[in-house]
Amino acid sequence: MKIRDVIEKTGATVLAPGDAERELAGAISGDLLSFIMAEAKEGWLWITIQVHLNVAAVAVLKDVPFILVASGRAPEQALVERCAAEGISLAVTKLPAFEAAGALRELAR
Amino acid sequence: MEEYAILAGDFSAIGEASTKFKATLKMLGIPSDLVRRASVIAYEAEMNALIHGGGGVLRMTVYDDRLEIVARDEGPGIPDVSLAMQEGYSTATDEIRELGFGAGMGLPNIDRNADSLLIETEIDKGTTLLATVIFPSP
Repeated sequence: MKIRDVIEKTGATVLAPGDAERELAGAISGDLLSFIMAEAKEGWLWITIQVHLNVAAVAVLKDVPFILVASGRAPEQALVERCAAEGISLAVTKLPAFEAAGALRELAR
Repeated sequence: MEEYAILAGDFSAIGEASTKFKATLKMLGIPSDLVRRASVIAYEAEMNALIHGGGGVLRMTVYDDRLEIVARDEGPGIPDVSLAMQEGYSTATDEIRELGFGAGMGLPNIDRNADSLLIETEIDKGTTLLATVIFPSP
Protein backbone atom coordinates (compact mmCIF):
# COMPACT_ATOMS: atom_id res chain seq x y z
CA MET A 1 0.00 0.00 0.00
CA LYS A 2 1.47 3.31 -1.11
CA ILE A 3 0.78 6.76 0.31
CA ARG A 4 -0.95 7.61 -2.97
CA ASP A 5 -3.34 4.63 -2.53
CA VAL A 6 -4.35 5.79 0.95
CA ILE A 7 -5.02 9.32 -0.28
CA GLU A 8 -7.23 8.01 -3.10
CA LYS A 9 -9.08 5.50 -0.93
CA THR A 10 -9.91 8.01 1.81
CA GLY A 11 -10.59 10.90 -0.58
CA ALA A 12 -8.03 12.95 1.33
CA THR A 13 -6.81 16.43 0.48
CA VAL A 14 -3.02 16.68 0.34
CA LEU A 15 -1.50 19.62 2.26
CA ALA A 16 2.16 18.54 2.12
CA PRO A 17 3.13 16.11 -0.63
CA GLY A 18 6.09 14.15 0.76
CA ASP A 19 6.77 11.04 -1.35
CA ALA A 20 3.40 9.74 -2.60
CA GLU A 21 5.04 6.66 -4.12
CA ARG A 22 6.43 5.49 -0.80
CA GLU A 23 5.32 2.02 0.24
CA LEU A 24 3.88 1.96 3.76
CA ALA A 25 5.16 -0.65 6.20
CA GLY A 26 2.14 -0.47 8.53
CA ALA A 27 -0.32 1.90 10.14
CA ILE A 28 -1.34 3.20 13.54
CA SER A 29 -4.22 5.32 14.77
CA GLY A 30 -4.09 7.45 17.91
CA ASP A 31 -4.14 10.91 19.43
CA LEU A 32 -1.89 10.46 22.45
CA LEU A 33 1.56 11.58 21.38
CA SER A 34 3.42 9.37 23.86
CA PHE A 35 1.45 6.35 22.66
CA ILE A 36 2.57 7.02 19.10
CA MET A 37 6.13 7.61 20.36
CA ALA A 38 5.98 4.18 21.96
CA GLU A 39 4.24 2.16 19.26
CA ALA A 40 4.78 3.66 15.79
CA LYS A 41 7.40 2.04 13.57
CA GLU A 42 9.50 3.40 10.75
CA GLY A 43 7.57 3.78 7.51
CA TRP A 44 4.10 3.64 9.04
CA LEU A 45 1.03 5.72 8.35
CA TRP A 46 -0.33 7.64 11.36
CA ILE A 47 -4.04 8.48 11.55
CA THR A 48 -4.87 11.19 14.10
CA ILE A 49 -7.16 14.09 14.93
CA GLN A 50 -4.31 16.14 16.46
CA VAL A 51 -3.45 19.10 14.26
CA HIS A 52 -0.79 21.07 16.10
CA LEU A 53 2.90 21.46 15.33
CA ASN A 54 4.04 18.71 17.67
CA VAL A 55 2.51 16.07 15.46
CA ALA A 56 5.36 16.77 13.01
CA ALA A 57 7.99 16.41 15.75
CA VAL A 58 6.66 12.96 16.65
CA ALA A 59 6.60 11.91 12.99
CA VAL A 60 10.17 13.12 12.45
CA LEU A 61 11.46 11.36 15.57
CA LYS A 62 9.75 8.06 14.72
CA ASP A 63 10.45 8.15 10.95
CA VAL A 64 6.74 8.24 10.15
CA PRO A 65 6.41 9.38 6.51
CA PHE A 66 2.66 10.02 6.33
CA ILE A 67 0.18 11.74 8.67
CA LEU A 68 -3.50 11.38 7.79
CA VAL A 69 -5.68 13.80 9.73
CA ALA A 70 -9.17 12.38 10.25
CA SER A 71 -12.64 13.92 10.67
CA GLY A 72 -11.76 16.81 8.39
CA ARG A 73 -9.88 18.69 11.11
CA ALA A 74 -7.81 21.57 9.82
CA PRO A 75 -4.07 21.37 10.59
CA GLU A 76 -2.35 24.47 11.90
CA GLN A 77 -0.38 26.25 9.22
CA ALA A 78 2.81 25.64 11.22
CA LEU A 79 2.20 21.89 11.00
CA VAL A 80 1.69 22.06 7.23
CA GLU A 81 4.90 24.03 6.81
CA ARG A 82 6.92 21.73 9.05
CA CYS A 83 5.73 18.61 7.22
CA ALA A 84 6.61 20.19 3.89
CA ALA A 85 10.08 21.09 5.18
CA GLU A 86 10.66 17.58 6.55
CA GLY A 87 9.35 15.77 3.45
CA ILE A 88 6.46 14.23 5.40
CA SER A 89 3.16 13.65 3.60
CA LEU A 90 0.25 15.40 5.32
CA ALA A 91 -3.32 14.90 4.15
CA VAL A 92 -6.80 15.50 5.58
CA THR A 93 -9.74 13.15 5.09
CA LYS A 94 -13.35 13.94 5.97
CA LEU A 95 -13.71 10.35 7.21
CA PRO A 96 -13.50 9.75 10.96
CA ALA A 97 -10.44 7.71 12.04
CA PHE A 98 -12.54 4.54 12.35
CA GLU A 99 -13.96 4.86 8.83
CA ALA A 100 -10.57 5.73 7.36
CA ALA A 101 -8.95 2.71 8.98
CA GLY A 102 -11.82 0.54 7.74
CA ALA A 103 -11.34 1.75 4.18
CA LEU A 104 -7.64 0.91 4.42
CA ARG A 105 -8.36 -2.60 5.70
CA GLU A 106 -10.16 -3.23 2.42
CA LEU A 107 -7.21 -1.86 0.52
CA ALA A 108 -4.72 -4.03 2.41
CA ARG A 109 -6.60 -7.26 1.63
CA MET B 1 27.90 17.79 23.35
CA GLU B 2 24.79 19.70 22.45
CA GLU B 3 22.62 21.71 24.77
CA TYR B 4 19.30 23.44 24.26
CA ALA B 5 17.13 25.58 26.46
CA ILE B 6 13.52 24.48 26.88
CA LEU B 7 11.53 27.66 27.30
CA ALA B 8 8.54 27.77 29.63
CA GLY B 9 5.16 27.99 27.96
CA ASP B 10 6.58 27.53 24.48
CA PHE B 11 4.47 24.54 23.43
CA SER B 12 4.88 25.16 19.75
CA ALA B 13 8.62 24.60 20.03
CA ILE B 14 8.31 21.35 21.95
CA GLY B 15 10.22 18.62 20.21
CA GLU B 16 12.59 21.08 18.63
CA ALA B 17 15.58 20.18 20.79
CA SER B 18 15.00 16.45 20.32
CA THR B 19 14.64 16.75 16.55
CA LYS B 20 17.94 18.64 16.45
CA PHE B 21 19.54 15.90 18.55
CA LYS B 22 18.23 13.32 16.14
CA ALA B 23 19.74 15.12 13.16
CA THR B 24 23.10 15.25 14.96
CA LEU B 25 23.02 11.53 15.80
CA LYS B 26 22.19 10.64 12.20
CA MET B 27 25.03 12.83 11.00
CA LEU B 28 27.39 11.00 13.36
CA GLY B 29 26.38 7.72 11.72
CA ILE B 30 24.81 6.20 14.85
CA PRO B 31 22.68 3.12 13.91
CA SER B 32 19.07 4.07 13.26
CA ASP B 33 17.52 1.91 16.00
CA LEU B 34 19.72 3.65 18.59
CA VAL B 35 18.86 7.01 17.07
CA ARG B 36 15.16 6.28 17.45
CA ARG B 37 15.58 5.14 21.05
CA ALA B 38 17.53 8.28 21.88
CA SER B 39 14.91 10.37 20.09
CA VAL B 40 12.09 8.94 22.22
CA ILE B 41 14.07 9.62 25.40
CA ALA B 42 14.96 13.16 24.38
CA TYR B 43 11.41 13.99 23.31
CA GLU B 44 9.72 12.68 26.42
CA ALA B 45 12.31 14.33 28.68
CA GLU B 46 11.86 17.60 26.82
CA MET B 47 8.08 17.37 27.16
CA ASN B 48 8.29 16.61 30.86
CA ALA B 49 10.64 19.50 31.54
CA LEU B 50 8.27 21.85 29.72
CA ILE B 51 4.91 20.55 30.94
CA HIS B 52 5.84 19.83 34.55
CA GLY B 53 9.13 21.62 35.15
CA GLY B 54 8.32 24.99 33.64
CA GLY B 55 11.18 24.72 31.17
CA GLY B 56 14.79 23.83 31.65
CA VAL B 57 17.77 22.46 29.77
CA LEU B 58 18.21 19.41 27.57
CA ARG B 59 21.74 18.20 26.99
CA MET B 60 23.09 15.31 24.99
CA THR B 61 26.66 14.03 25.16
CA VAL B 62 28.00 11.35 22.82
CA TYR B 63 30.89 9.19 24.05
CA ASP B 64 32.69 6.33 22.28
CA ASP B 65 30.61 3.69 24.01
CA ARG B 66 27.39 5.46 24.98
CA LEU B 67 25.29 8.55 24.81
CA GLU B 68 23.86 10.45 27.71
CA ILE B 69 20.79 12.62 27.75
CA VAL B 70 20.30 14.99 30.66
CA ALA B 71 17.12 17.00 31.25
CA ARG B 72 17.18 19.51 34.07
CA ASP B 73 14.44 21.76 35.32
CA GLU B 74 13.84 23.94 38.35
CA GLY B 75 10.21 22.97 38.71
CA PRO B 76 8.20 21.60 41.62
CA GLY B 77 9.99 18.23 41.78
CA ILE B 78 8.34 14.78 41.76
CA PRO B 79 6.81 13.82 45.15
CA ASP B 80 6.66 10.09 44.35
CA VAL B 81 8.98 8.89 41.59
CA SER B 82 7.72 5.30 41.60
CA LEU B 83 4.17 6.57 41.07
CA ALA B 84 5.37 8.83 38.25
CA MET B 85 7.03 5.80 36.63
CA GLN B 86 3.69 3.98 36.49
CA GLU B 87 2.12 3.87 33.06
CA GLY B 88 -1.06 5.95 32.95
CA TYR B 89 -0.25 8.12 35.95
CA SER B 90 -0.12 11.80 35.07
CA THR B 91 -0.59 15.13 36.78
CA ALA B 92 -1.04 17.04 33.52
CA THR B 93 -3.97 19.44 33.18
CA ASP B 94 -6.98 18.77 30.94
CA GLU B 95 -5.83 21.50 28.61
CA ILE B 96 -2.50 19.72 28.10
CA ARG B 97 -4.23 16.36 27.66
CA GLU B 98 -6.46 17.70 24.88
CA LEU B 99 -3.31 18.31 22.87
CA GLY B 100 -2.39 14.66 23.23
CA PHE B 101 0.15 15.11 26.01
CA GLY B 102 -0.17 13.85 29.58
CA ALA B 103 -0.89 10.22 28.76
CA GLY B 104 1.21 9.09 31.70
CA MET B 105 3.59 7.38 29.33
CA GLY B 106 6.56 9.75 29.26
CA LEU B 107 8.74 8.29 32.00
CA PRO B 108 7.81 4.68 31.11
CA ASN B 109 8.77 5.42 27.48
CA ILE B 110 12.11 6.80 28.64
CA ASP B 111 12.71 3.82 30.91
CA ARG B 112 11.92 1.36 28.10
CA ASN B 113 14.39 2.97 25.71
CA ALA B 114 17.26 3.71 28.10
CA ASP B 115 19.86 1.22 29.30
CA SER B 116 19.97 3.12 32.56
CA LEU B 117 17.87 5.88 34.05
CA LEU B 118 18.58 8.07 37.02
CA ILE B 119 16.16 10.65 38.41
CA GLU B 120 17.18 13.14 41.07
CA THR B 121 14.36 15.26 42.33
CA GLU B 122 13.74 17.62 45.19
CA ILE B 123 10.42 19.26 46.09
CA ASP B 124 10.32 22.94 45.02
CA LYS B 125 13.92 22.68 43.74
CA GLY B 126 13.58 20.74 40.54
CA THR B 127 14.35 17.52 38.75
CA THR B 128 17.36 16.18 36.88
CA LEU B 129 17.00 13.14 34.67
CA LEU B 130 19.97 11.21 33.29
CA ALA B 131 19.31 8.54 30.69
CA THR B 132 22.06 6.47 29.08
CA VAL B 133 21.99 4.49 25.86
CA ILE B 134 24.91 2.08 25.51
CA PHE B 135 26.30 1.38 22.04
CA PRO B 136 26.64 -2.32 21.28
CA SER B 137 30.30 -3.32 21.03
CA PRO B 138 31.34 -3.81 17.39
